Amino acid sequence: MYRYDEFDAEFVRQRVAQFRDQVERRLKGELTEEEFRPLRLMNGLYLQLHAYMLRIAVPYGTLSSRQMRKLAHIARVYDRGTGHFTTRQNLQFNWPKLGDIPDILAELAEVEMHAIQTSGNCIRNVTADHFAGATAEEVADPRPYAEIIRQWSSLHPEFSFLPRKFKVAVTAAPHDRAAIQVHDIGLHLKRLADGGLGFAVWVGGGQGRTPLLAKKIRDDLPEADLLSYLEAVLRIYNLHGRRDNKYKARIKILVHEIGAEPFAAQVEEEWQRIRDGALKLPEDEIKRIDAYFAPPAFVAPPAGASARSPLGEPDPAFERWIMRNTHAHRQRGYAIVTISLKPIGGIPGDASAAQMDAVADLAERYSFDEVRVTHEQNLVLPHVRLADLRAVYDALVEIELAEANAGLATDIIACPGLDYCALANARSIPIAQRISERLAARQNLIGELKIKISGCINACGHHHVGHIGILGVEKRGEEHYQLLLGGSGAEDAALAAITGPGFGPDGIVDAVEKVVDTYLKLRSGPQEAFLSAYGRLGSAPFKEALYAAAA
Amino acid sequence: MSKSAPTISVLTANRLSDGAVVFLDFDGVWVESLRGAVVARTPDETRALESRGAFDAARNVIVEPYLVEMHESADGSLTPVRFRERVRLGGPSILDDVPGYVETPKPAPRAEPVHAEAA
Repeated sequence: MYRYDEFDAEFVRQRVAQFRDQVERRLKGELTEEEFRPLRLMNGLYLQLHAYMLRIAVPYGTLSSRQMRKLAHIARVYDRGTGHFTTRQNLQFNWPKLGDIPDILAELAEVEMHAIQTSGNCIRNVTADHFAGATAEEVADPRPYAEIIRQWSSLHPEFSFLPRKFKVAVTAAPHDRAAIQVHDIGLHLKRLADGGLGFAVWVGGGQGRTPLLAKKIRDDLPEADLLSYLEAVLRIYNLHGRRDNKYKARIKILVHEIGAEPFAAQVEEEWQRIRDGALKLPEDEIKRIDAYFAPPAFVAPPAGASARSPLGEPDPAFERWIMRNTHAHRQRGYAIVTISLKPIGGIPGDASAAQMDAVADLAERYSFDEVRVTHEQNLVLPHVRLADLRAVYDALVEIELAEANAGLATDIIACPGLDYCALANARSIPIAQRISERLAARQNLIGELKIKISGCINACGHHHVGHIGILGVEKRGEEHYQLLLGGSGAEDAALAAITGPGFGPDGIVDAVEKVVDTYLKLRSGPQEAFLSAYGRLGSAPFKEALYAAAA
Repeated sequence: MSKSAPTISVLTANRLSDGAVVFLDFDGVWVESLRGAVVARTPDETRALESRGAFDAARNVIVEPYLVEMHESADGSLTPVRFRERVRLGGPSILDDVPGYVETPKPAPRAEPVHAEAA
């Protein structure tokens, strides 16, 4: 893992001291809310529906045990015992008091964490494939580049007041777990024709009220040119992005309005001007950052090692968990473990302080001290020996986080929705809970199905790229839900389409079940996943099932 | 918008110190309960509440004051017209389901009265 150098530590320490002073002045009335708001947002502090909310950055979703324990401690001491992992691999506390925030930030600084640039019109926390450095699929670990981008973008003077927020995601695997096509910039690390490493650069994707998929504007960017090229993209956006209308201010609108090719041409022109300047990445510097992410000291397994004890009784629950929640590792004898934060009927992404502590213990003991946060609101132990899977599973059963549902219908993404968020129009979490309860018994029969729920048009719950997406709106003062089908945030990225008239809070759960029933009836077999079946069948049979009776 | 009854409203905001949802009561105190909230029934009363909100925001007692439209039942009890405001009043609807959730917050003791003339 990356370790702060003296510069990083001093920078974060200074920032805490500055914000402590700002909070004191706010509480004394020396700063107005108008003066204070931009300051608190730059430190990740929102005012939500019922309380303040602090969003803490988890750079590229990687946490150490020590950091996880600190988050548990903060949950216990300053919040109400729970943290919420988000779709941007961050952690949110829903109940901090304003006067406690400087102490919380000081505690975070002790473990090399902060909340800087988790809000505001700047380059936000860089996200990455949550299996980075562990999956056999990737050409190299993408996190060193995410870290390089983090360092370049932290307090970048030119890009601290962009037209709108800016999100970068990085992956190095053909199977895209980082949803790079719905980010402002998506980077796909790959092997170039000359044998070196480089990037395909996707620009202008995003969800929100105007969902658009990113366009690939470069396929062969050498790694040494990463920062100069990003700088060129940001400059063109900063110059031409709209500042007159916040709903048209994201880079996706600019790319869409002027066209990907003219946009790419402008970037190219700027890049040619600066590519051999100060931002050229020296090979030594890449190697230096790379070293922080060196693979842990894997131990070769004894021949024939397996997760399953040959002498043990068959255990179907453990077998199901192995099937669903473990993934192939780059190192023979190891597996990647997904810890589902989606207990049946639970709150997607929530973890109690006790659960966070227990996961930290597991990471320390069984996963080289590493935990990952996924954009699907789960946790990952990236490096677990096959021989330790049983112990990990048993420990997860103890803390009620052993649901074998990764990628299934109950592994639902949901934004905080109207239960917490000041922007929301409808609740998301209770809808997720009811759908989870409704589909739990059949989730293995249904197979892979990604349900994503947002409580407003801002789409934090990624409903546009759900196989089944749900969007909460307000209709005549009450909650109302639109249903969308056929989206994907993976390498086959697609935007879901609205089925038709929406539903009330109970009706939407029935509607999702009707869609699932229709799929089960019409699929060619269990091997045809929902998204494939939808692609083959189109929307007609689903609309028929949803609306025919009412017509 | 209620078409049948005249619009009535109360003044709400978030408390500066912890962001808690508060309502202005008859004593000029910002409290966490809707009981005792001052109700504006006329345009003049509405304007008076609005200026009180702006005043207390300027005095850094509360943040982001605004008027919430209410239904009034026969017995005088108030219910927000919009579902959003009902959730905002009642708190998250899901707290019973939060794993390891520690406690439901007790309403904070009433703050010292904050009268305009005390400013």
